[in-house]
Order: sequence, then C-alpha cells, then structure tokens
Amino acid sequence: MLKLLAAGLVASVAVIGTVHLASADPVTITFRFNDTEQEVRGAIDAFQRDNPNIKVDLQRIGWKDARNQFLREAAVGEGPDVAHVAQVWVIEMGAAGATLALDDFIRKDPPPNGFADFAAQDLAKGRDGHFYGLPWTTDTWAMVYRTDLLKDAGITDLPHTWEDLRKNSEAVYKKTGKAGFGFPAGSSASGAMWFLANFYWWSHGKELIVQKPDGSYAIGLMPKDVVECMNYFKQFMDGGDNPKTNLAASDAHDPAIIQALVTGKQAMGAMPPNTYKEILKAYEEANPGKSIPFASAPFPHQDDTKSSMIGGRMLVINANSKHPNAAWKFTKFMASQAVFAQYYRTQFPAQTSLLKQIDFGAPLKGFAEQFPHARTWGAYASGPAPIGTLWNVTTRTFGKALSGQVSTEDAAKELFAEIGKQMP
Amino acid sequence: MTATAPSRHWRDPGGWQFVLAVVLTIVTLFVLVYPAIYVLVGSFRPGGGLLSTAETFTIRNYVRIFQAGFGRFILNSVVICVAATVVSTVLSVMAAYVFSRFEFRAKRTLFTGILFGQVFPWIVLINPLFVAFAAMHLINSYVGMILTYTAFTIPFSVYMLVGYLVTVPKSLDEAAIIDGASRWQVIWLIICPVMLPGFVATATYAFLLSWTEYLFALAFLTQTDLKTLPLGLYQFFGDDYVDWGAVMAASVVTTLPVFLLFLPIQGWISPGRIAGAVK
Amino acid sequence: MRDRLFITTMLLPAVVLLVLFYGYPIFDNLRISFTDLSLLGMKKGGNWVGLANYRELLHRGDFSHILFNTLIWLTATSVLLRLLIGLGIAVLLNTRALKTLRLASVARFALLVPWATPPIVAVVIWRFLLERNGFVNDALMGLNIISQPIAFLADMRTVWPSIVTIMLWNTVPLIALSLLSNLQTVPEEYYEAAELDGATNWQMFRFVTLPFLMPAILVLGLMSVFWSFNNFVYVWLATGAGPGTFTNVLATEVYLKAFVDFRLGYSSAIGMVMAVVMGAFGILYLRLVAHRQLEETL
Repeated sequence: MLKLLAAGLVASVAVIGTVHLASADPVTITFRFNDTEQEVRGAIDAFQRDNPNIKVDLQRIGWKDARNQFLREAAVGEGPDVAHVAQVWVIEMGAAGATLALDDFIRKDPPPNGFADFAAQDLAKGRDGHFYGLPWTTDTWAMVYRTDLLKDAGITDLPHTWEDLRKNSEAVYKKTGKAGFGFPAGSSASGAMWFLANFYWWSHGKELIVQKPDGSYAIGLMPKDVVECMNYFKQFMDGGDNPKTNLAASDAHDPAIIQALVTGKQAMGAMPPNTYKEILKAYEEANPGKSIPFASAPFPHQDDTKSSMIGGRMLVINANSKHPNAAWKFTKFMASQAVFAQYYRTQFPAQTSLLKQIDFGAPLKGFAEQFPHARTWGAYASGPAPIGTLWNVTTRTFGKALSGQVSTEDAAKELFAEIGKQMP
Repeated sequence: MTATAPSRHWRDPGGWQFVLAVVLTIVTLFVLVYPAIYVLVGSFRPGGGLLSTAETFTIRNYVRIFQAGFGRFILNSVVICVAATVVSTVLSVMAAYVFSRFEFRAKRTLFTGILFGQVFPWIVLINPLFVAFAAMHLINSYVGMILTYTAFTIPFSVYMLVGYLVTVPKSLDEAAIIDGASRWQVIWLIICPVMLPGFVATATYAFLLSWTEYLFALAFLTQTDLKTLPLGLYQFFGDDYVDWGAVMAASVVTTLPVFLLFLPIQGWISPGRIAGAVK
Repeated sequence: MRDRLFITTMLLPAVVLLVLFYGYPIFDNLRISFTDLSLLGMKKGGNWVGLANYRELLHRGDFSHILFNTLIWLTATSVLLRLLIGLGIAVLLNTRALKTLRLASVARFALLVPWATPPIVAVVIWRFLLERNGFVNDALMGLNIISQPIAFLADMRTVWPSIVTIMLWNTVPLIALSLLSNLQTVPEEYYEAAELDGATNWQMFRFVTLPFLMPAILVLGLMSVFWSFNNFVYVWLATGAGPGTFTNVLATEVYLKAFVDFRLGYSSAIGMVMAVVMGAFGILYLRLVAHRQLEETL
C-alpha cells in the first residue's frame, strides 16, 4: 500500500514536472531506432513540429547488438529514453528492471482504439502482470516462389502441403538443374532454421514450448516429432536441391540466397517481407520493364493451424528515463495511424484495425494471407528459458543433423537434453 | 655511407631468382588486393553487385553513406585514432626505452605484467569496463575512447619497441650522453631517427587497431555524432536485409583515409634513408 | 638515484593506464565468475555459487572438442602460417630485384589494404569469394582442379582451412610490415662481411637475417598467440561456430554464454580459464623461449 502511494506521488510529481516544463525549456528525449534513419525521419520531424517543447534525438544501433547494449546501459542508469526492441525481448527486459511499466500511461492516456487493438499483447505483459512495451510493428514470414522456374519444371500450382513442397523442390532440381527450396540451414545463434522448424511443428499442431493449465511450462514435442522435422529438412540437403553451401548461410537475407533467387538459380525461398522487397527491387533493377516472375504464398498448413509467426517490434521506455511523459507522448505518436499512413511505410502497424486497412498489393499477397495463419511466440517468450537459448540449441542441433555430423536421432536427443536443462 | 644504397641480404639475383621474386610478388599482390578490388567495384553497383548480375554503374551508395553521417564518422575516427596513436606510441617508447636500457628490481615482473591485459578475451572485459566507464562519465566521450585505445595498444607496442631497441647498440646512447645530451634528447633525437621504421610500424599497428575496432566503440559510443567508421559501417547490416552497396562504399571510405595518412609516411621511411645509419 | 627517478617517470603513465583498464575489469571478472550473474540481472547482481561455473565448464562433454579447435586450428595453425607467410613476404619485399622495379613500394601499400579492412568486411568478402559460384570455386573449376563446387564454409574438411585463410588475409600484413621494418634496419656491413666470406643466400638468411629478426618474430609470435586464442570475430562471422558446433572455440563460447544465454557468471569463468591458460603460456614462453633472444633486456 505504502509502495503504491509512493509510486503515485512520484508519478504526480512527474506530471506536475512536465506541465511546468511544457512552458519552459524544451526537453530532449533520445530515441534508439535499429533500422535506417530514412524510415522514421519524417515521423520524428512531424512529432517535433507538433510538440515544439520536445526535441527527439535519434540514435541507431544494429539489431544484433541492440539488446545487449540496452541491458547494460539500463543497469547503470544510462541509455535512450525510448528504445526499439523485438517483441520477444520485452518480458525479459521488464523482469530485468530495464523498462518502465506502461500501465498508468495506457490507462490515463490510451492510444486511439485502445490497447486491446494491438497484436502481440501477450508478449508485452511482464511476468508481474504489468505492460512493459507498446507493440509497434508486425511482421511475418512467408514462402516466395520463382514462378518461371516452377513452370519450367512443369509445376502449375503452388504447393499446399509440406510433401508437395518437397516434391516440387526435387522436381525443379531434377528437371532444370536449378536449386529448389534453398533455405538457409546455417547453425549460427540467430539462424533461420529456428523459424522453419517451428513453422513445421506449428502447422502440425505442435509446439516446442507449451504452457500447461496450471501455469507451468514444458516441452510440447516428442523426440519423434523432432526427428521427423529434421528428416524432412535433411531430404533437401541430401537430394541436392538445397545446395550444401547453404549450411553456412544462417540468414534469410544471405546475399547468396538473394542472388540465386534474383538471377533465377533458385526457385523457392522463405523470408520476411522486407527481404522479399529487396529481391523484387534487385530484380527490377537488373531487368527493367520485365514482368516479375515472383509470387508469395503462406507456408503449408492444414486447415486452421498456424504455419508462421507474428513477429515484430515494440517500443519500450527506459526505466532510467528522466522524461517518461514526453517519452510516452512520443511512443504513442509513433504508433498512430498518421505515422504509418504518411511516414513509416516499410513496416506493418501492430494495431489490428490499422493492419486491416492495409493494401498489401499483389506481390505481397502471400504475406497478407499468412497473417491469419500466424501466431506469436507466446509461451516461448514468457517461459523459463531465454528464447535466445532455445533458438541457439535448435539451430545447432539441426545444423549437426543436416550436415550429417550426427544422426537425426542423436541430434534430437541432444536438443531434448539441452532444452531439458532449461526447464524447471 | 651513401644515402641511396639499398639494404640487401640477398646477393645480386641471377635471372631465374629475379623472375621468381617478381612472380611471387605479383601473386602476393593479387591475393592481397583482389578482395579489395571486389569491394571497390561493388561499391559502384546497386546492391554492391552481390544481389544480381546487372553491371549498372551508380554513385548512389556513396551518396547514401554520406547522408547517413559518414563525413562526421571520418572526422571522429581520425581524431580518436590519431590521438590514441600518438599517446600510445609516446608512452610505449618511454616504457620500452627504460626496459631496453636499464636494470632495476621490478623489471622482469613489470615486463611480464604488461602482457596481462592481453591474455583476456576482450569480450569478457566489456561489461565490467562499461560499468566503470559509466561511473566515471566516460561514455560518449572522445577522451574515454582515446584512453581505451591507448591502453589496449600499449602492451604490444612496448614489446615490439623493445624488440627493435635491443638491436640498437647502447654505445650510441652513451656517446650522445658523453656529448652532453639528456636521456630525453637521446630517445627522440638519436634513437628515434635510427629506429624510424620500427616506430612507424608500431604506430601503424596502434592506429589500425583503433581504426577497425568495433566492440568497445559499440559499447562506449552511442551518440550518432560521436560514432567511428566501423560503427557507421555496421549500421547497414539490418535485420531483414543488408544494404550491401552501402557496406561496400563504407568499406572503401574506411580504407581510403588510411592511405592518405600513410602515403607521406611511407615516403619518409624509404629504405635508403636509414640504411647504414647504425654505425 | 637519478636513474631511479627517470625509470619511474618513464614507466608510470603506461603502468597507471594499464592498471586502470585491466586491473579493475579483471578483478571484477574474477568476482563475477564465482556468481550466477545474468545479463538480465545486472541491476540486482548475482548470487555466490563458488566454483560451480568452473566445475560445469570442465565437465562439459564437448570441452575437449572446443579446446582442440581453439588450440590447434584457431591458434597453432593460424599463428605458424601467419609468421611463415609474413616472414616470406617481408624477405621478398626487401630483395634488391623488387626495389629496382619499384614493386616493393607498391606491395608495401598493398599490405595496408587487408590490414585496414575491418574484420566484418574481410569475412563478408571472403564468404562471397568462397561461395558456390564465387571466385575461388570458379577459378578451381576453370583450372580443372575440381569438378564440383566446394562448400568451403560448410564442409567439415574445408571449413577450418577457410577460416584460417580469412584470418591470414586480414592479419598477415601486420607481421609482414613489422618484420620488413626490422629488415630495413639490418646494418649493410653484416651482409657485406658475409658476402666476403662467400656465404650463400641461404646462409645469409640463416646467419644474418634470421638472428636479427628473432626478437621481433618472438614478440609477434607471442602476441599472435594471444590474439588468435582470444579471437571470436572470424569464427563468429564466418560460420557462427557451425556447422552444428563444429567450429566452436572458447571465445565464441564466451560470447554465446554471455550474450545469447545471458550467463555472465559462467562466461566470466570461461574467460578466467582462458586467461590462466594464456598467462601460463606467456610466462613459460618468456622464460624458456624468448629469454635468450631478449637477453639484453631481461
């Protein structure tokens, strides 16, 4: 009770403080954004025009280092006021005391259409029940096909099942000599194999980490599920339709994979929309005026199972921020419809109401179709094991199996042993 | 002592040796430079020439990186690296001179102790250093970065310089001191010119280590207007795609100032100047 | 007495700086290695767990594999090749033949190119050169040395040699230029005297050049061992320690544990073990190998 009172006091002092400041010197808040400046420059300028008392300083750090840097800064009272983070980091950051609980702001000064409108709220809610981030953008992965190569291989329909995908990939390789489904099979800690394995499991109605009705967490797979999934992806390597060099490629945007798709040396890929847009851009630059031989489609799924993720970004406010009110004002503005309509057009908004209004256009149709068959990381992010650890263990063991270092059975055993250590 | 006599440790080569030396050098040159040419060509292609096989020429990559602040990053890198190199080299010369010329009690311990920082993987030092830097308000400061690079280049510089200095006869110092020079003058006016290639090589090491360093810069410099070139370069590695054209252009821009700085220095230490100076 | 003051003043700045930059973090790191500190718990601090982190490390099933990779590939192979190639280039560039052609100055500049290239760019370029349609495969196939492209960074037979190649490209110039500047200070009389005695080229190299370079070679060798042993950048960027964990080394393990698994305590313990191994090596090396060469110093 006392604590609550004190918190209320601090909050009201802070409010009075900002009211006072509003009429005095402008405050400067720092916004750390991890993609390119052009994407948000317009929005920041617009915010500063509307709020002459708040100056926004933009900082940038690459995604691969953003989390570590923010955590160490937050621990010693440093860091930006508002930070751009992956959805799956928010629960951890809240638990680390690095970010501010947003409950009061959400209640008193809610975003238009309310907080309920946001996707991935489950990932914003900390283990203590408070909200530690505002979902900002959403993203998903889908399949991308080179339709001209499929035609050369005599394939007219895009595959709807994992079996078809395998057969079509093999057919492309056998009939045209080109690579079929050239997925990145690399073992690095942020390797894309993690996504593909989970999509495969989800579409079969299974998941690696589940939360039981009593609130505890467990591994939701049997060893045979893992073996089956490894065997499935291994066929592409053994058959030669996914070139062996892709065992060293961990990113969907590995330049060799992009180049193979752009130049027609590979027929199928799996990726997020921004990677796909790069491919389309590179193709248009290299073949001006030609029609685009690409199509996107959802990952295979049965009926209403999920076969991809709703990923994306959130905005968080640093627990050390000296201007939390200004920071919230900015955060709310960045998630507004105006920003997505006029300035920030490289990402999709996280509000369901805004997402519905978006015209994805023909090339991105597959991604639009994927959204209803996509899910958040849910129990993976709220569970006891750091998601990075699950991810790393999965890409390592798949890497061992797919490169033939160990049998799929042994690799699956290792995966269970390593993840088992993380579960209570 | 003729100023132009090249040093030689090989007799006048016969025909086949001459050809062999030339061929080997050309092969070496090719291996050293080909990857860089690949980058140079790519920096003028959309997507760095990696994503398609189109041979379009463009300077947009360069325009983009300078819009992203590369002018400022060059300046920051030059200020930080030149300052760190000068401080590090001067401190190292001082220490190395003492190690190579004097006998004193703690000498062995100190000389071995200097190595100690080098036995750690730097990645484990980052978090503790970050905490200390935050307490000392050295985050986002030129001074903090200059001190960091100075501290991290001193051990190798001292060892390298001792290696050079032990080859200089002590009689050289003694003669100068008898002529009335102070130790300080001996170092900078007598030893330094003789050992110029060694000093330059050591300074080059300190400079290039700072120039290409990423881990510490990442942790200690977050403000855009203080960032160094490697940080500027890394920002083109996105999560969903990499701006390869910008990466290539940034790489060229990162390498170029090194040449501009070293062009005059290389002229200075042309072998003829020092050959036979140690007499 | 005056000497004493002089010695102290000359050494003090360097020593103070080193104590500040290494002393505190190393001490802190030692303390952390006895805790279960998490990257997520930096605010709260960790709990004392005694030697648990060290026990866990030594009882890992793959510890010997990681150690083998670190010692044999990342360190021994890369350092020996670096010294040999560096020495070769230095000697080559100091030959009179090249000087008359001005090739030597061109090559000295060329050496700056790989050296000034940040490791990330070096790895990116080489990954491309080693691709299935990359320059190296094209060249080898064009020369009919191979018939199928090699997956250099994915094939267990080629992945380590490929990583070492990338390291060499980026780091040989430091060795070559350092040795070259040593060569340039070899007094000409030594060679003249040797020539008068009728020494062969090999004898001149063996009995004049090599002894003269030895102090520098020993220092470069020692430092290269430290840098290679502790380096995580090349492995991390080239293969991410894969395929599987095939190219995992101690330094990538430190990174993985600290920044993927958030276990700062455990990764500090790995760091301490690495420091002890290298510290012991450094002391032995200085006492047993380098001592005689740096005799005038120590």
